[in-house]
Amino acid sequence: MQKKICMLGGFAVGKTSLVRRFVQSIFSETYLTTVGVKIDKKSVVLPDKTVDLILWDLAGEDDIGSFRVSYVRGASGLVLVVDGTRAATLAVALTLRERAEAEFGAMPFVLLFNKSDLADRWAISDNEINELRQLGWQIYLTSALSGEHVDDAFRQLASMVAK
Amino acid sequence: MTSTVDPISLAQKAASNDTEIDREALASLLVEIARNVDPDYRARFDGVPTADPRMATLRQLLVGREISELSRVTHLLDEPEQLASAVGGVLPSAAARAPYAQLGEALAPAVERAVQRSIQKSPRTLTDILYPVFLPAIRKSIGEKIDQTFQSLNETLRHIFTWHGLKWRFEAWRTGASFSEVVLKHSLVYRVEHVFLINRNSGLLIAHVTAENATSEDPQLISSMLSAIQDFVKDSFNEKEQSGLDTIRFGELRLWSEVGPFATLVAVIRGNPPEELHEIVRDVLFRIHDEYSQALEQFDGDSSQLAGIETQLQTCVELKQEDSNQGFPWLVVAAVLLVLIPAGGWFFLSWQSGQRWQAYVSRIEAQPGIIVAQQTASDGQFFISGLRDPLAADPQSLLSGTQVDPARVHSHWQFYQSLEPEFVLKRLTASLAPPKSVRLAIVEDRIVAEGEAPDTWIDRARAAARQLSAGGPVFDVSKVQDVSPEARAAEHWQTYVSRLEAQPGIIVAQQTASGGHFYISGLRDPLAADPQSLLSGTGVDPARVHSQWQFYQSLEPEFVLKRLTASLTPPKSVRLSIVEDRIVAEGEAPDTWISRARAAAQQLSAGGPEFDISRVRDVSPEEREAERWQAYVSRLSTQPGIIVAEQKVRDGQFYIAGLRDPLAADPQALLSGTQLDPARVHSQWQFYQSLDPKFVLKRLTASLAPPKSVRLSIVEDRIVAEGEAPDTWIDRARAAARQLSAGGPVFDFSKVRDVSPEARAAEHWQTYVSRLEAQPGIIVAQQTARGGHFYISGLRDPQAADPQALLSGTGVDPSRVHSHWQFYQSLDPKFVVKRLMASLTPPDSVRFSIIKDRIVVVGEAPAAWIDRARVAAQQLAADGLSLEISELRELTPQKLTHLREAIQAVDIFFDSGKAVPGPEQLPVLDKLANQLKELAKDARKAGVTAQFMLTGHSDATGRETANVSISAARAETVRALLKKRGVDPELLLVRGAGTFEPAETENSRTGSSANRRVSVTVNFH
Repeated sequence: MQKKICMLGGFAVGKTSLVRRFVQSIFSETYLTTVGVKIDKKSVVLPDKTVDLILWDLAGEDDIGSFRVSYVRGASGLVLVVDGTRAATLAVALTLRERAEAEFGAMPFVLLFNKSDLADRWAISDNEINELRQLGWQIYLTSALSGEHVDDAFRQLASMVAK
Repeated sequence: MTSTVDPISLAQKAASNDTEIDREALASLLVEIARNVDPDYRARFDGVPTADPRMATLRQLLVGREISELSRVTHLLDEPEQLASAVGGVLPSAAARAPYAQLGEALAPAVERAVQRSIQKSPRTLTDILYPVFLPAIRKSIGEKIDQTFQSLNETLRHIFTWHGLKWRFEAWRTGASFSEVVLKHSLVYRVEHVFLINRNSGLLIAHVTAENATSEDPQLISSMLSAIQDFVKDSFNEKEQSGLDTIRFGELRLWSEVGPFATLVAVIRGNPPEELHEIVRDVLFRIHDEYSQALEQFDGDSSQLAGIETQLQTCVELKQEDSNQGFPWLVVAAVLLVLIPAGGWFFLSWQSGQRWQAYVSRIEAQPGIIVAQQTASDGQFFISGLRDPLAADPQSLLSGTQVDPARVHSHWQFYQSLEPEFVLKRLTASLAPPKSVRLAIVEDRIVAEGEAPDTWIDRARAAARQLSAGGPVFDVSKVQDVSPEARAAEHWQTYVSRLEAQPGIIVAQQTASGGHFYISGLRDPLAADPQSLLSGTGVDPARVHSQWQFYQSLEPEFVLKRLTASLTPPKSVRLSIVEDRIVAEGEAPDTWISRARAAAQQLSAGGPEFDISRVRDVSPEEREAERWQAYVSRLSTQPGIIVAEQKVRDGQFYIAGLRDPLAADPQALLSGTQLDPARVHSQWQFYQSLDPKFVLKRLTASLAPPKSVRLSIVEDRIVAEGEAPDTWIDRARAAARQLSAGGPVFDFSKVRDVSPEARAAEHWQTYVSRLEAQPGIIVAQQTARGGHFYISGLRDPQAADPQALLSGTGVDPSRVHSHWQFYQSLDPKFVVKRLMASLTPPDSVRFSIIKDRIVVVGEAPAAWIDRARVAAQQLAADGLSLEISELRELTPQKLTHLREAIQAVDIFFDSGKAVPGPEQLPVLDKLANQLKELAKDARKAGVTAQFMLTGHSDATGRETANVSISAARAETVRALLKKRGVDPELLLVRGAGTFEPAETENSRTGSSANRRVSVTVNFH
């Protein structure tokens, strides 16, 4: 089973780093700057089946207006990536999600607070994260550096979209 | 009524809006009814009353609510509008809940009819609806067709001249296929390596098949990336089309994609695929959509439902075209040989016949007495010309044995006399007829005569020798001895006899010589030479000759020839000659002559020589030309619009005269192809107007210039006009028809409908409106035509042309025009200038000009005027207009200044106590008056007004009040005197200054004459 997943997030939140180490990829990162999208694949083995997550890594931009929402068409889920050291990137990720859902309807997503290894520069309060968790959102503090929780996040999303 | 309960009140209660049954009222009603069941009560009535109001009340109580509900529903059903709105409310959800198949069945006919009706009513609506659907499909289809054509053209061009090309052309001929098909079949080498079926929505891979040995990266990633790129292109270039990328090409590799409703099929092709492959791929995509449409639509990443698709895709992957190597093309070689062998044979034969000809020519050249001047061979025919001695061998006879076909040899020989000794000898032998006793021989290129001969012969031989001496060989007669006179006489006689015998047409039967007399008898043809006359020069004494001749007709060819010449009188173009005892006629002659010649030939056939007339062609050139001329004349005569009045042929020149329509064919142009020499054709044509309907039609078309809505045509010799035209045109057509009526074809324009007067009026109106719109200073805001009346409204500048006046000549009825104009000030610089001219009244020395929307004022003006202009410029600036006055110079012309100074220097003096100047002042006054008038005039010219202040003064003697009044009186006096001298009194102002402005300080006791004066000051306004 395959599912289209879109990775959304602001500029330099570490989406590309997340996929670089943990997914299977044949396209170079220059695609992001040329075509604006790069396709990667992450196979997640669930108890009953294997889900191939086809990850569309969209070029992250802080300019929300240039976000090509059409790339989200047909996606089954979203990976929202936030840079934990820059609070503004949370708003960017949430706005991107709103725009995608406004266009194509609600879909499952996981919210990753990335760069969890940079604890000294962490800018998101635990309260804030807990409030979001209260909404029933699946939230992971990940580190592309250590790989912490990255697999968990993809596994969670795979089980959500495979239902 | 004994009841205690009032039924009315009960009913009223029941009618309340309470939906529940009023149980209390019902109970009391039942109690009341029960009470009435009392036998006493019953006994008072004959029966139960038919209309017991309580029954109604009971009914109301029990089913009142249902009744009102029922009436509401009934009302709803009876009122179409209410029913419609009620059904309308539920229709969408009802349709949504209806079973699909049944609803479709039920709606289909209605929808079909509705669509049909809509198309009948206005096809445009449906076209507009379907346009976005059709357009991309049509565009794509046309694009592909063009690609296909280009490809086949390219291939054809590339292979047209190669060996492959020939081979394929042969194959196309053999199989009956078109050449381009064969080229494509051979030249398109390709292989479909991968086929991806991709979900259109998510870009997820549905199915993927690969050809043998073909490799690729993860197909899932590839398919997603492909759709990402499609999105990228679509977004980047804002392409709204539903279709995807058609083709991606990278070197040898092509990606072709076909877009279906739910899935896109991408074929990866290596090589050079034919455009037809598109259709094959599209077919596969359609088949897949057909079979799996539901599964495709609901595809969510799980392709287990779509297992069968791969076999469908496999058919695409199997497509390939390999380069096939064929064997040696024996058929082509055979075909080439078939062509080459006859060609080679032909070349060999023509070479061989050329060789034979050359052999013949050199043989002729070797012949003495024949000089070949020219010889050529062309097209298998041989031409030779030159000189030949009549005594030389016959070139024709030399042909035999050379294998050259005599029929292909065309000789042209001119006779000449060869000076070669052999020929000279022959000729001398023939001409001198030496007696037997003389022998002629060639000795070392000299001709030597030896033996005995009469002196006459010796004389002749000597003469011949003299003749020959010029260039010819030496003729030596010195060795010939003179013979005796008797012998000479006998010799002469013999000479004569042999001469006679040699004469054609003369047959010597007997001849003797006895006693010095000669006797001869025989036959002679009347046309033969006269034997008597032949005597002369023979040296035979005619008196001694006794001849007896009987006439006969000689059948010798010469005589026959003569007789034929006499009797047939052949034309000059015919030459009769004798060729090997046959009489041959050659040349051209009229057929009448030929038939006479043929009759003569038949007569001759009994015993006479053959008369061959087969070489006479039966038409003389003149006759041929005459025939051509006649053909030309009759061709002209059949031309419409040309009338041949006269024609003749004289001295090889052709004359023709007649009439021609200017629109008819050009007679000169018709000459071409007739082989007639145009220089010998003298034509004289007068123009006339043909009344042939065709020509009349042409002329009418040219002169009437019918509008496009009118069609002119010829129907049974009548010219018929059909269609619509304005009445002015119809009037002109009517006039033309009247003109034609005299002798010309009927011009029927009854079928031309008058364009309706309304349309005409509307046209006129439009002309008027556009005329108005073109007017500067007029802005048409609105205009309509309704019910034969025209309404127009807008703005106009007061300075613009009067819209009413513009009506004249437009044909619009002014009484039907309702105009509503509001004045406005046009900011068009032209109008601004007009307004400024009116309001500022500039002096003549000022010029307004418009330079690129700026109004520039140049020239000279008085300061006051410049001030006014400056105010105007400020006002205009508020309107965004620029009035430039910086170029204006203030006007105080030199002359005015001078005059002013001159005038201001003048004083009129008075005697003490006098208000009137003395007589000595009168010349001063005269001069002053003239100066004032001149200045007033000049000032007016310069656009200013000059005003003159006359100030009276007094001396300081006496009381001040008296001084003031006398000074004013003096000024008034001067004003009156100046007025009398023609100065405009309006320009003269007066004041008394008393002693306050003295010209000089004075002793108040004596007073000063210089101060008793009137001075003048000049002011310009």
